[in-house]
Amino acid sequence: MDAPLPASPARRRWLLNTGLGGAATLAGALGAGSLANLLNARPAFAADYKALVCVFLYGGNDGMNMIVPSDTSRYDAYAGVRRGLAIPQASLVPLAGIPYGLHPALGGLAGAWADGALAPVFNVGPLAQPLTKAQYRTAAPNSALLPGNLFSHSDQQILWETGSPDPLTRTGWGGRAAETLATLNPVISVAGTARYGSGLLQAPLVLPGPGATFGAYGLQPGDTWAPQLARKAAIDALYAQAQDADLADAYTGAQRNAFAMSARLAALVKTQPGDSGALPAIDAAFAPITAAGKITTGLGRQLYQLAKLIAGNATVQGSRQIFFASMGGFDTHGNQIVTGSPLEGDHARLLKELGDALGAFHAAMKALGLGGAVTAFTQSDFGRTFAPNNSAGTDHAWGNQHLVLGGAVKGGTSYGRYPELVLGGGDDVGQDSWELQGRWIPSTSVDQYAATLLGWFGASDSQLDTVLPNLRNFGAARRLGFL
Amino acid sequence: MNPAETTANAARRVAVLAVTAATLAACGGGSSGGASDATTMPLATATPVSVRDAVRLADQASFGPTEALIAAIRAQGPAAWIGAQMGLSVSRYSSGRGGEVHQYAVKDGDFCADKGSNCWRDWSSTEPLVWDFYRNAVSQPDQLRQRVAFALQQIVVVNNLEVSGTYGFRLYYNNLLDNAFGNYRQVLKKVALSPVMGDFLNNANNDKAAPNENFARELLQLFSIGTCELDSDGRLKGGACSATYGNDTVRAYAYALTGWTYPAGGATAWGCWPAGMNCRYYGGDMVPVAAYHDSAERKLLAGVTVAAGSAAPAALEAVLDSLMAHPNIAPFIGKQLIQHLVSSNPSPAYVARVAAAFGSGRFGSIGSGQKGDLAATVAAVLLDAEARGDTVARSGGKLREPAQMFAGVLRALNGRTDGDALSWWWGDSLREHVFRPPSVFNFYPPDYPVPGTSLVGPAFGIHGANAALERLNYLTYLLDRGGSSASADVPGAVGTVVDLSAFTADAADAAALVDRLSVLALGQALPAAPRDQVIQAVAWWTDKTDPTYWQTQRVKAAAYLVFGAPNYQVQR
Repeated sequence: MDAPLPASPARRRWLLNTGLGGAATLAGALGAGSLANLLNARPAFAADYKALVCVFLYGGNDGMNMIVPSDTSRYDAYAGVRRGLAIPQASLVPLAGIPYGLHPALGGLAGAWADGALAPVFNVGPLAQPLTKAQYRTAAPNSALLPGNLFSHSDQQILWETGSPDPLTRTGWGGRAAETLATLNPVISVAGTARYGSGLLQAPLVLPGPGATFGAYGLQPGDTWAPQLARKAAIDALYAQAQDADLADAYTGAQRNAFAMSARLAALVKTQPGDSGALPAIDAAFAPITAAGKITTGLGRQLYQLAKLIAGNATVQGSRQIFFASMGGFDTHGNQIVTGSPLEGDHARLLKELGDALGAFHAAMKALGLGGAVTAFTQSDFGRTFAPNNSAGTDHAWGNQHLVLGGAVKGGTSYGRYPELVLGGGDDVGQDSWELQGRWIPSTSVDQYAATLLGWFGASDSQLDTVLPNLRNFGAARRLGFL
Repeated sequence: MNPAETTANAARRVAVLAVTAATLAACGGGSSGGASDATTMPLATATPVSVRDAVRLADQASFGPTEALIAAIRAQGPAAWIGAQMGLSVSRYSSGRGGEVHQYAVKDGDFCADKGSNCWRDWSSTEPLVWDFYRNAVSQPDQLRQRVAFALQQIVVVNNLEVSGTYGFRLYYNNLLDNAFGNYRQVLKKVALSPVMGDFLNNANNDKAAPNENFARELLQLFSIGTCELDSDGRLKGGACSATYGNDTVRAYAYALTGWTYPAGGATAWGCWPAGMNCRYYGGDMVPVAAYHDSAERKLLAGVTVAAGSAAPAALEAVLDSLMAHPNIAPFIGKQLIQHLVSSNPSPAYVARVAAAFGSGRFGSIGSGQKGDLAATVAAVLLDAEARGDTVARSGGKLREPAQMFAGVLRALNGRTDGDALSWWWGDSLREHVFRPPSVFNFYPPDYPVPGTSLVGPAFGIHGANAALERLNYLTYLLDRGGSSASADVPGAVGTVVDLSAFTADAADAAALVDRLSVLALGQALPAAPRDQVIQAVAWWTDKTDPTYWQTQRVKAAAYLVFGAPNYQVQR
């Protein structure tokens, strides 16, 4: 289905350069009226609702300890390199049917595995094209064969969020998908203004957590006292005025949009567990991470908010919605484990928060009968070095293991190719003695991972090529099969 | 950029250079003698500073205009005012407790057991420093230094999320205040030797046997040269990103930076580990430990090599030499200073002029002549034609970041604060809780792309629908709800309040009141159509609608609308 918004680079350039009084912002050029009004004019999809939930793990999650091979020869190879960081084999959460186990802190996902709603995807990372070790080693500096600025947090976060090998890419693959597929709302983020949700024209809609007041005091639709109405009229006039700077036009567009969104969503955003407007099915699912009426973890609060927004589709509107949530703190250069106690430490704490929150979210979706309509997936800056450093931690690497979760997921099996556990081996970027740390060249690209998710979400092949321009470099292997 | 420099702007630029020379020779800020700017300009008589230009400078070089500050800038002229600012004594941070928090050696004891309910706050957290930050920002005279230090702390970032110890952060940020007009090499050296940074990015106790790369990587990527090779105007060399360094270079720097431990003085119940290293302690610079320092020859950037057999201090000097010699450092740091003070999207020519000042260490007669001179660089940022004058290009300006907005409104309205409400409440709400950025990548990246434009807007990286409305709610809090009263829990508390009494005298004439506040906040009146609506909203309050408080209500309404206006929220 074609969207009236720009799909071709040429049309995008036209819009950016269009001489509307020199304004480089579409919203500003249109004058009064919010971007939301513009976008509401587009056709919505049919009634079957689908949602994608990106859970970004900032800092670089150590996938090698998140999911561990459990067959003897590979476990021994793993433990031989990981030494003090190795998770004891007997502690792994078994994944029936595949020779792998989860870090015990992810016990909250055991139910999803049993439901067939969970699948690992192995050795995923940013690539410009399929890449062999020989090509990596002989590539000239700044070669187009390689993604840019490997091993740098900010650049790799951008590559994952934008689905591009170029760290200068301005838009996220979530934002581009929302515009190309003409979803009613932009990407909705409950974790701040990440580039994942930025489109060419639209910023993501950033909402606060449960219990928060999402609105301007005194200027809500229900505030009808005369001096407040007069203030609102003045504010509206200030926001309707064309500005003399592009950043100011972007600002006023965002302000008008915020008021419109607040009018629609404020009540839904505010509901907390146990409130009269709360859904018992969601509250019950999140009960294991609720104490004294409040969700106990940051990701838990974010996913509770998303569960409400999904269930509240009649208010949020739209039949296709992309969401963004995140956790931070995964950059475990040190104290990844507690020396002598590999099941304790920062990584275990982070994985527990992740597993419990995702487990609650999955239970909520099932209880609402939306299990097959919602797919959650992890992303992260990069995996971490297979070999530990001297600070009980690991350093920046590349290809990583990820998880996809939802009723539509073809779970119970694994996808992608698990790396060969040999330092300096065929999958490790390193060769010389001083660089044998186990940084895996990805065997699956972010493009393929995203294309599989978006294909399920409703994107046609040509829309996939628009949102993920590098996808064509991966030939026929654009759907990985987990959806 | 200003498309064509007007005669007036050119004359003004010349004028400020002339005034600079005279003023700063008197302050001792640079060698005596006349202007020695390489692009020798003829001297001309000074033209008077407009209100608009004075307000622009106040937004760029202080935490915001006050009526008194506007008058002072107009009286002295920008260059003289900047010179005077650079000569003021430093308002350092002094709040919070001491190093005893890292000297507690009682087995099975609890340091906080006898320290009351504010133990973590006063001994471990940066909360006491937030009080100092906002007190300084709103009320202290050395405004430019406070602004520059705020910019520096967003480049060489540490945070109180992952490491704690109030006394250590106090030293760290006081170093930035002390060196704000010194040399950037000294800033980097104090950062590299800081035990807070050493703890935060794992260079404390970094061991040659398996060096942790965290500090080395971010030193290159964020604190000095960045990941892409740059021309002197800040643009990518060759128009695309050529990597400045590869992983092997990061490892070389990591090895060169091994062999430092905390200064002596710390203690724990279990002794200090690893053997040969000191306990965690932030009370001074890190000290070298030869046994942990890698002494192989290491090739660094810019043709600098760490000689085989070098000790840790010599290796650190080589590291700093290599970064200061790198062609990237001047545009990389210069452009970010422009972004923090003046504009998110400076023209390449503006960046080149500021980079030249960083590189030569001089701007006019300001500066020592040593590369990295921050006084020269800051003067170049503020006295450039693109920063001065009444008009700004469409690509100019920056979204006023939350900390700047909190302080700016308080300053303009003769307010005062102890900072208490601006941290866990408003700081967290608008995602700029000072001293607690989420990571070493600061609150937002310098290149955050603003959708719907071709520009970057770093502060948009923490903006969104919720923040959009919360900015207005901050004004409601301050104006309609009286801000915060002094808390008995905060030493020397004054709350967070404004004082509208200076403005109620003008309340009888709604248009005059609105214009007075607009001139204060914007340096000019609002555009005609919204100005009318604002005056109407203000004029609703009369002695009929509120016999007792109508004048104050008028000031509140006017202030809400002027400071809530996009014209204020996006500084230009």
